Amino acid sequence: MSGCPGSRTIDFSEKTNQEGSETGKRPSQLRQWPIQLHLVSPMAPYFQGKDILLAADCTAFAFGEFHKDYLKGKSIAIACPKLDSDQEVYVEKIKSLIDDAKINTLSVIIMQVPCCFGLAQIAKDGAEKASRKIPVKQIVVGLEGNILSEEWI
Amino acid sequence: MLKVLNREIKEIINTYPEVGRILEEYGIGCVPCTVGSCLLKDVVGIHNLGPQKEATLMYRIEKAIYPDRKISEPVVDMTTQSAPKKITYSPPVKKLVDEHVLIKRLLALIPSIAEYTESSLRVDKNLILSCVDFIRTYADKYHHMKEEDILFKYVDEKAEIIQVMYKDHDTGRGYVRQAVEGAEKNNKTQVKENLLAYRDLLTQHIKKEDEILYPWIDRQLSTTQVGEMFRKCNAADASVGDELPKKYEKFIIELEEKFLQEVTK
Repeated sequence: MSGCPGSRTIDFSEKTNQEGSETGKRPSQLRQWPIQLHLVSPMAPYFQGKDILLAADCTAFAFGEFHKDYLKGKSIAIACPKLDSDQEVYVEKIKSLIDDAKINTLSVIIMQVPCCFGLAQIAKDGAEKASRKIPVKQIVVGLEGNILSEEWI
Repeated sequence: MLKVLNREIKEIINTYPEVGRILEEYGIGCVPCTVGSCLLKDVVGIHNLGPQKEATLMYRIEKAIYPDRKISEPVVDMTTQSAPKKITYSPPVKKLVDEHVLIKRLLALIPSIAEYTESSLRVDKNLILSCVDFIRTYADKYHHMKEEDILFKYVDEKAEIIQVMYKDHDTGRGYVRQAVEGAEKNNKTQVKENLLAYRDLLTQHIKKEDEILYPWIDRQLSTTQVGEMFRKCNAADASVGDELPKKYEKFIIELEEKFLQEVTK
């Protein structure tokens, strides 16, 4: 086991206790389009005064209850701090979401791999550049889909 | 047991003193509380002990109350339970915790101020009234009002723990009034006793808030409510201006310098 933890091959298909509950439909909690951070405009009506979830691309696939536990009631923007280009634009967009869209809170959900903390840093940099101050939360998802930590930063 | 869970803690401790001893083992300090009207279920729930500890505590309490009853020891499947979360404060609550620090710095000086008052020929009225101004303006108007007007509105204000906090605020205001009266009448004992009583009250009050009440409220707040409360607290701070906290921090620094010199003389 060596190399970058963000792209290292790990197979946990044999993992037990993955049954969960399959009863009932799980409606999508997505209330907007687009969602990619390069594509969204901070001036979009669905951001104004809202609670925003800034999600690393992989988190929605890793965490089974993503819609119910984190997306519900929030507007979203997604990004990958490892692969996306022009990330300085991201910092400016976060700043604009805080100052212009006057968002209520920003929750950043990332994977536990080190490169993913770059997205939390983008959020912090944007928040520091903004003249308004808002609460910012960081949620870290483990590779096997468990929540490792959730705290205000 | 359900009936017992809905009984007031003081009544339970008076009837079954062993319960008080068990609670103390778990760091739940209800025995010395003068009010004691919190319900047992709230007392246990508010401390966020984690599933295993809470189940064991409830088992021991039930055994203490019903020694002859056959009760099986709790078995908690930890694989299906999430561990208790580490205490972290949301930003608006953290601001209130940080404000406690300056108040605690005054509380730390009160024994020296009381001693100084005792050994002086006359009560230093200016000193006492300056301390009272800090308490009334910074601790009460700036800090306690944010609790009463904003924070407590996010939980059931009729909950006993909130009523205890209101009562502490009122009792504290009474001690301050008495200290002022003592300073006006040059009654050294009255000043000293009321300042020391205020110190004891607020020390316990802040400890309860930092360790129990604030984390309990924080656990109930949604993300949206945290953002809303943050805005309201910022607006409340802006209404008194940036200078007020700076002015009172300067006052505490000067007071610390004065009494540190008194001690080292």
